[in-house]
Amino acid sequence: MRLRPYVQTAFLSLFLFLLLQTDYRGRDEITYPVNVFLRFDPLVLFSVSLSTLKVPRGMLLALTMVGAALVLGRAFCGWACPLGTLNEWTGRLGKGRGSHWPLKYLLLLALLSMALLGFQAVGFLDPLCLLIRSLSLALEPLWALLTRGFFNGLYEKGVRVLEPLYEFLEAKLLPLKTPFCGQALFLGTLFLGLLALNLFSPRFFCTRLCPLGALLGLLAFASPFRRRTSQACDACGACSVPCPSGLPPGGSPSECLLCGRCKEACPKRAISFGFPLKGDGVGERVSLERRGVILALLGGLLFGGLIRVNARPLRGRALVRPPGALPEEEFLERCVRCGECMKVCLTGVIQPALGEAGPAGLWTPVLDFRRGYCQYACTLCGQVCPTGAIRRLTLEEKVLTRIGLAHIDRDRCLPWAHGIPCIVCEEHCPVPGKAIRIRQGQVETPEGRRRVGLPVLEPSKCIGCGICEFKCPVEDEPAIRVTPFGEARRGWPLPW
Amino acid sequence: MDRREFLKALPALLILPRLLGAQDGPEVVVVKGGNVGAMVRAGLKALGGLGAFVRKGDRVLVKPNMAWDRSPELAANTNPEVVAALVRACLDAGAKEVVVFDHSCEDPRRVYKGSGIADAARAAGARVPYPDPGRFKKVRIRGEVLKEWEVWQDALEVDIIINCPILKHHSLARLTMGMKNLMGLVGDPRSRLHWRLDEALSDLASFFRPQLVVLDATRVLLKGGPQGGDPSFVKELGVIVMGRDQVAVDAVGAVLFGLKPQEVPSVVAGHRRGLGEMDLRRIGLKTLEV
Repeated sequence: MRLRPYVQTAFLSLFLFLLLQTDYRGRDEITYPVNVFLRFDPLVLFSVSLSTLKVPRGMLLALTMVGAALVLGRAFCGWACPLGTLNEWTGRLGKGRGSHWPLKYLLLLALLSMALLGFQAVGFLDPLCLLIRSLSLALEPLWALLTRGFFNGLYEKGVRVLEPLYEFLEAKLLPLKTPFCGQALFLGTLFLGLLALNLFSPRFFCTRLCPLGALLGLLAFASPFRRRTSQACDACGACSVPCPSGLPPGGSPSECLLCGRCKEACPKRAISFGFPLKGDGVGERVSLERRGVILALLGGLLFGGLIRVNARPLRGRALVRPPGALPEEEFLERCVRCGECMKVCLTGVIQPALGEAGPAGLWTPVLDFRRGYCQYACTLCGQVCPTGAIRRLTLEEKVLTRIGLAHIDRDRCLPWAHGIPCIVCEEHCPVPGKAIRIRQGQVETPEGRRRVGLPVLEPSKCIGCGICEFKCPVEDEPAIRVTPFGEARRGWPLPW
Repeated sequence: MDRREFLKALPALLILPRLLGAQDGPEVVVVKGGNVGAMVRAGLKALGGLGAFVRKGDRVLVKPNMAWDRSPELAANTNPEVVAALVRACLDAGAKEVVVFDHSCEDPRRVYKGSGIADAARAAGARVPYPDPGRFKKVRIRGEVLKEWEVWQDALEVDIIINCPILKHHSLARLTMGMKNLMGLVGDPRSRLHWRLDEALSDLASFFRPQLVVLDATRVLLKGGPQGGDPSFVKELGVIVMGRDQVAVDAVGAVLFGLKPQEVPSVVAGHRRGLGEMDLRRIGLKTLEV
């Protein structure tokens, strides 16, 4: 009986289950360890340690994976990695042959040297970050859109017989609203493109690009548990055909995913997996051209350095970070762009940045008040961030944490500019005592003087949650907007 | 609005019917007491019993104020006990299904839970669905201000609507009661309704025409409305107002709050449009103590 498909399915199911639990469930507390896969990820551990020159304490679990790789090699890749499993299943639909590239080691070196310079790029290629981000920001919204469209279409036409099924899906498998993400097309296409590559060659990403696979591969080269070929081997090459890395019988353990397909294919039953007996060879080492290594390291340093030099829009109006975010420089060193905060965000206000935070900030979380607002009594983003880029705040701390300040544009505000009654902003302001007050005043309009309630900001109370901007009826350019000026994490004194 | 004015209004209301006698106008029942369930039942009985409105097999929508993530003591939402009592009364009268719903202003998962209404209503036997953006249908409102607007689909399909608002202060509308509460049955962008709020509310009142209005004044939000948030803004009044005439109930609610009905623009607009009676002299007021 083959155990591996069951184990893979179990890990993938666990991963998807945890992703589903990364959601508001009625209390301001995530009860499942939803980011546990990331906390076991040694690539993220090393990369964040290098960029911050500190060890993120929550991530020490990853050292167990290092230990496991030293003994079991790339068993994680073959048995547990959820992206690996998806790659493998997609690869079965194609007819390609497996192979491997040393490129992934060079990418690993480049990413780590970028990290040393403070550019935290590992999240772009780390399989767990990539999968969480792509599913949360592209595929789950797509699933929600299609499912809702189907059931709501039927409901509108009066077909109610499928309602119980819809209620089940709503309760268990669908997010409350269909989330809309500004980069869904981009992220979704990249992800589906990545999966499509498997049709040409199975586990394309795993064997050629994955930096985590490369890291585990480097740790694997002396692993005692490995593939062994007995004397019965007659070098017929049947084992290379199903191997996702395209390995010959004596292939390097750094490329071996321990999937066992070679063992099934061998007509002489010469292949087995286990601990080495005396006399067995160590196997091929990873051979990298020295020139390639130097290019990778140097390239990483240069690229990382240039990215850091590229003027970050510190004066940018649009860069409002989630409450609990560290000051920008350290934030960028820690954020691995995994998308957990975006997934869990109650209102969908947290979105992946495109240019707002400069090139170093691509896909880091920024608040877009056209899509949502920061729910007053909510601390979920800090609870799920695996690296501490967003600190975990208590509720008492959070409601006092200013992420920006609102300001009213009197030329666009309906009461101020046109004498038309509104006050939606004041109505929704959640701060006790309100950060927006209504002042009765006279406004000149073409029809004459009108008496109307005018919103006036009390900046000392405003925490920048953005519900005012979100609800403002002047949607295209809201008459009240939140900008990062005054954000607490800068630590600058304010005049109020 | 100070406490003294407020306390003055209540006894005046209680003597009023004795001074004027019940008139031929719309009946409004004011129930004062401590036990919410008993108050609701007594009030319904005084109006002729729920069976006068709800027939066996009817689908009923009980529409509370369930808009803000505030606990019941903060009086930003309808008292969950009032909602539960109504749900039970409808089911006892033979309703096939009772739905409790509001298009909340904040995340409905927080509001439905925090208000206590979803749990109480479900325990009483109601279905309490969340607002699903895909379940609002664009319909012709044929109002003065609203021509076409998105309306929650189930509201179009039920047989009976029982409007179950709370009496509270509102920074724009002055007071929010029954007519304002109907905003929770329509889709966004509701902020635009604020531009001509009184007319828009009359349009909604004319479109939905709830068969019964149960105005919860067990706890009243005196200021800081509609969200509230400070327990010192709340007064325990222990009153429930009921009637079939939505303008009349709102008018009585205004008096209870310490205002004259003419001081609440939506009441004036509703009366002017012929949706109901705001003149207290013509309202058939019945008061009960339970």
